[in-house]
Amino acid sequence: MEANPIVLDETAGDVVVVVVEGEHDIYTAPTLRERLEEALSRGGGLVVDLTAATFVDSSVLGALLDARRRALESAQGFVVCLGETVEPGVQRILDITGLVPVLPVMRGRDEAILAARDGHDA
Amino acid sequence: MSDPGPAPEVVLNMPARAEGVGVVRQALAGMADALAVDATVLSDMKMAVTEACTNVVVHAYDEDAGELEVQMLAGEQDLTIVVRDHGSGIAPKPERIGPPALGLGLPLIAALSDAFELRGTAGRGTEVRMTFAYARDGDPASANPVSGSVGADGRWEPGDPPA
Repeated sequence: MEANPIVLDETAGDVVVVVVEGEHDIYTAPTLRERLEEALSRGGGLVVDLTAATFVDSSVLGALLDARRRALESAQGFVVCLGETVEPGVQRILDITGLVPVLPVMRGRDEAILAARDGHDA
Repeated sequence: MSDPGPAPEVVLNMPARAEGVGVVRQALAGMADALAVDATVLSDMKMAVTEACTNVVVHAYDEDAGELEVQMLAGEQDLTIVVRDHGSGIAPKPERIGPPALGLGLPLIAALSDAFELRGTAGRGTEVRMTFAYARDGDPASANPVSGSVGADGRWEPGDPPA
């Protein structure tokens, strides 16, 4: 079984959730980019769920920012969610880079799906 | 209390490949277990060492991976981590495979560590030396905030490099 899986959850219909678990860095960033690309190609909104992620680095932020830019260009909603518990290896890098309002970052997956459906930044 | 003996030291030498960065984090976590490191400090250490190792993997060598060397030196109050390569120095490489990096590595290291030093000369490799107090009075990220932001085009625009 993959130790740090990145899977697509398409049960929300028009919003695809990319579920990212475990530790992610330059080693897994190419896979994350592939999954984000795949999710965007569905044409609807995109949520990146980092609830079960325990660590992300700047390679991951780069992948998220690129996906956000592409989503904005094609008027697709893009939202990151973190869950209710704070994981320092994820929250910290988002805080000190000031990316929480930019991406944007929310707590629960359900509210993130709603926001992405509405095209949060649109 | 009895004499704690010589300060623990861990040295890792491995090929500068992406899969090695997580191994360095695990070694660091193992070492921190033996020291009285605050959880938030350990989290910052992992982030900073990841960025330093990533710089080596991405920028240090042209083609075949050279060596990534990581040294962790435990003092009484703090841990010093040195990340070294034997590449061609701090001059950025022409972009290899993959998308361009954000240029966030060094600003993050500066924000997360209590002290940090970058040494490098052309043709002789680069060394990033960072020190972390086991327990903190304040947040180093307040003293050395990450400058830069996402521009109107959606791309990260680095600010001034840390002093």
